[in-house]
Amino acid sequence: MKNFIGSRAMPDLIYHSPEDMDGLMSLLQNNTKNGQQKVKIVAGCTDFVPAVRTGRWDFKPGINIIDIKKIKSLNYIKKEDNQLKIGACTRLVQIFESLDILENAKVLSQAVGQMASLQVRNTATIGGNLCMSSPAADSAPVLLVLDAKVTLQDPKGAQEIWLKDFFTGPGQNVLKSDQILTQISFPIQEGHEAAHFLKIGTRTAVIIAVVSTAVGMGIKNGVCENPKIALGSVAPTPIRVEKAEKFLHHKFLDDQTIEACAKIVSEEITPITDLRAGKEYRKDMASTLVKRAILACRKEKK
Amino acid sequence: MKISLSLNLNGQDMEFEIDVKQTLLEVLRNNAKCQSVHRSCEEGECGACTILLDNEPVNSCLVLAASVQGSTILTSEGLVREGKPHPLMKAFTDELGLQCGFCTPGMVMNAYALINRSGDKALTSEVIRKNLEGNLCRCTGYVNIINSIQQAQKAKIAGEWW
Repeated sequence: MKNFIGSRAMPDLIYHSPEDMDGLMSLLQNNTKNGQQKVKIVAGCTDFVPAVRTGRWDFKPGINIIDIKKIKSLNYIKKEDNQLKIGACTRLVQIFESLDILENAKVLSQAVGQMASLQVRNTATIGGNLCMSSPAADSAPVLLVLDAKVTLQDPKGAQEIWLKDFFTGPGQNVLKSDQILTQISFPIQEGHEAAHFLKIGTRTAVIIAVVSTAVGMGIKNGVCENPKIALGSVAPTPIRVEKAEKFLHHKFLDDQTIEACAKIVSEEITPITDLRAGKEYRKDMASTLVKRAILACRKEKK
Repeated sequence: MKISLSLNLNGQDMEFEIDVKQTLLEVLRNNAKCQSVHRSCEEGECGACTILLDNEPVNSCLVLAASVQGSTILTSEGLVREGKPHPLMKAFTDELGLQCGFCTPGMVMNAYALINRSGDKALTSEVIRKNLEGNLCRCTGYVNIINSIQQAQKAKIAGEWW
């Protein structure tokens, strides 16, 4: 079949879809000899297919695609020891519809509901969103604010690391070629904590965020405690802005303080100019969104 | 790499010889000849290729065909019964919910899933707009599409539905 201008055929693939972790681990072991990457792990494929077709990713023909979507033990949302645990292959729609998430981490529902479109949310997975490691990934700022940890597993064993240490650059993360992300976990929110997610783009649906932000904090008698502010699309990776967080800690949340904090945010981030927006605009919008998100938290806990 | 793909497509069990690099869109259009599944942006922006995969709307252009082995798939061909258009399709023509018609099969499939999961509670324009966020239409301005879907829901409540 002829392809449209700008798109191209998929390269030849070898397709595997293991049904359990043992099958996956032996596939990884057999296909990653000498540290050479001959495998690509996929799940929802909603980013993988267009990335390959448009040439954003260049693959040699004959690459091994391991589809982990059929592994049932990677698809769950559970509440355990004051933690919420989400399997990597949990689809966004499951997170959006989960009562556990709505009750204990509303901000994640809020963010997932704004991601892409209904059709994409029915297919895409949370693990995929993190592993693509786009600086604009919508789930990343929220999970950074929730102090999430991710579990990485390879044939030798599993380890848990902070999500903030996971991203290393645009489209890059710490995963080794034979390693997969299996779980995302974070503590459930307490009564005095509030969190909000906001993003802007050129359309309300199916957009890559121009700037996105998630803000979380505890509020007692109007005083902010342990604020967490994360942003997407303003640096090579999704980031937490620590200077602004330190500034806000133990401060009474009046309008002037919030204004000053938003200004620190715009000074702390390092956005670039690209086809979606200029860096000045991104700085402006980042401080506006942070301000709005803090105001929303203040309103919620008044 | 060639494999054999078995699907329940529009109520019939079928088997296709496919290459694993084919997307579900390509299999539906080229192997199964379901020409209602429209190929457009191929990036998940427009929703013209929307089909129901196990009763949930998905963009068939973003799904590797090999990954849906054994699934149930419904395209808008499958809504036609004994040569008669589905009440939802009739609502689209009655309320002028289409002009050029390119986005319509995707709109119809997404609306079909929406109406089926909404029960008897009347769908507001707001709810419909949120659910159709992944389907672009460049002709109608959406108002007539929303009217069509509200009309179709009334038909469903009146029992004219399959």
